[in-house]
Amino acid sequence: MVSINYSSREVSCKIVYYGPGLSGKTTNLQYVHAKVPKKTRGDLISLATDADRTLYFDFLPINIGAINGFATKFQLYTVPGQVFYNATRKLVLRGVDGLVFVADSQRSKRDENIESLNNLKENLIEYGYDIYTLPIVLQYNKRDLPDVMPIEEMQQDLNWNNLPYFEASAVKGVGVFDTLKMITKVVLNRATKKTEAPEAEAAPAAMAGVAEPMVQEQVGTAIEHRASTQIAPRNSASTAGTTVAPPPVSMDRPHRVEVREVTDEAGWGTQSAVSQEQTKKLQTDKVLIPKHPTLAEIESKLHQVDNTELDSPKKPAVKPKAEVDEAARSQFADAFEVPHVVGMQKSLKLRKKKKRFFLFRWFGGDND
Amino acid sequence: MAGDKLMVYWDDTEKIDVVMTKLLKGAEAKCALLVDKDGHLIARHGFTQTLDTTALSALMAGSFASTSEIAKLVGEPEFSVLFHQGKKDHIHMCLVGDRSILAIVFDDRTTIGMVRLYAKEAAVELQKIFEIVLRKVNSSEEGLSEAFTNSAEDKLEDIFRD
Repeated sequence: MVSINYSSREVSCKIVYYGPGLSGKTTNLQYVHAKVPKKTRGDLISLATDADRTLYFDFLPINIGAINGFATKFQLYTVPGQVFYNATRKLVLRGVDGLVFVADSQRSKRDENIESLNNLKENLIEYGYDIYTLPIVLQYNKRDLPDVMPIEEMQQDLNWNNLPYFEASAVKGVGVFDTLKMITKVVLNRATKKTEAPEAEAAPAAMAGVAEPMVQEQVGTAIEHRASTQIAPRNSASTAGTTVAPPPVSMDRPHRVEVREVTDEAGWGTQSAVSQEQTKKLQTDKVLIPKHPTLAEIESKLHQVDNTELDSPKKPAVKPKAEVDEAARSQFADAFEVPHVVGMQKSLKLRKKKKRFFLFRWFGGDND
Repeated sequence: MAGDKLMVYWDDTEKIDVVMTKLLKGAEAKCALLVDKDGHLIARHGFTQTLDTTALSALMAGSFASTSEIAKLVGEPEFSVLFHQGKKDHIHMCLVGDRSILAIVFDDRTTIGMVRLYAKEAAVELQKIFEIVLRKVNSSEEGLSEAFTNSAEDKLEDIFRD
């Protein structure tokens, strides 16, 4: 289920690395993290145990930039491979768009591979996925180790549906990118549909409906944006209209040099152009909320909060603070007495001085 | 669930924006994120420049997923509200419908009561919007264009290399 956000013009795909424990799923991600250009990736987040075993998942976001005006993102996840983490493993699979099954090529791991694969199939079926149509790529990892199984045998064991496969050594980086390229391509291909007719003549109508309660100047700008994007969508790159391009702009038109690209380079924490604009407005308090609640409404809500909801930590914190301080002071009055502290320091200094004196006599004296 | 697509269109976002802005103003929160249960970010509002929202979304979705498993173990269908309390900043998360999470980050300038109140309202409104979105998505059969995948492949070749 590839997530497509037409308003912020983003496509987001979730790819999960699955496989038995210690087969090299996290290593795959670490290699990708190390080799991919910094501006295209986010931080690698590992929810791991103290012994560096994956506890919940590893997460690496990759943003390959704008393609046909759509910022395309891949979210790479790994699952915990150990058998008893099946509950969490299953959670990570939720909403997956593509799978990489990382198998350990060593002969001793054969049973674990098969068990993990069966577990994967079970979990997918439970979620309602079709294991014959979901994009899956196999990676036979650790080919550099001695006593590895021949590929033919592994194919027989694991490749149930003539899936693409790669030999790899994730530690050395062999085959890591080949696998990733293949799965991303398959995922995007699957998201492609023959019909491509971005919807909604209804969009402007709905927008007008929303804009209605806005204050005059805002409506003015909203209409301006709309006008620029509707009437001349091809020229919209030069205007502020790029940031608010509506669906009627067809995706295959080579018209845009996106504002998004600039923000993407700046890093992952940046906002989409649309929401940045809104934040600015918010900061300068120019945004007037449509359908603002009346004073009476707010008061009645506040009343409700006071009576029913949790007590507010803000109000009582201000006034009684001085009282609390006073009480604490009187309780620990002796700790605040200055002469006592000074006396301690003095005696400490004296002891240090004595110590230094004896040391001097012990060592320094002999040398003389 | 597996077959459902998530597509957000311009007019939907416009509606979501209105709800989120109202929520932020009303609750006086720092920022609000709307996250899909699969970890995709749908919308963000407020002061999010300093936040790694991509990672936040993934982790929040993970946190919510594990919490709902815990709920099942104790015989609850789902915990619909999660609250993380920190020294300065706190996070309030609540379910919107059955597939998205509304997360609000706030500090001591406001109170948990206010945030809960406005979040509850916003969740109901957002749910209505999502119902419309889903109906629309299920009726339409569109996806990415051929041109998109072709240029994506070129870009992938370029980025994913040793």
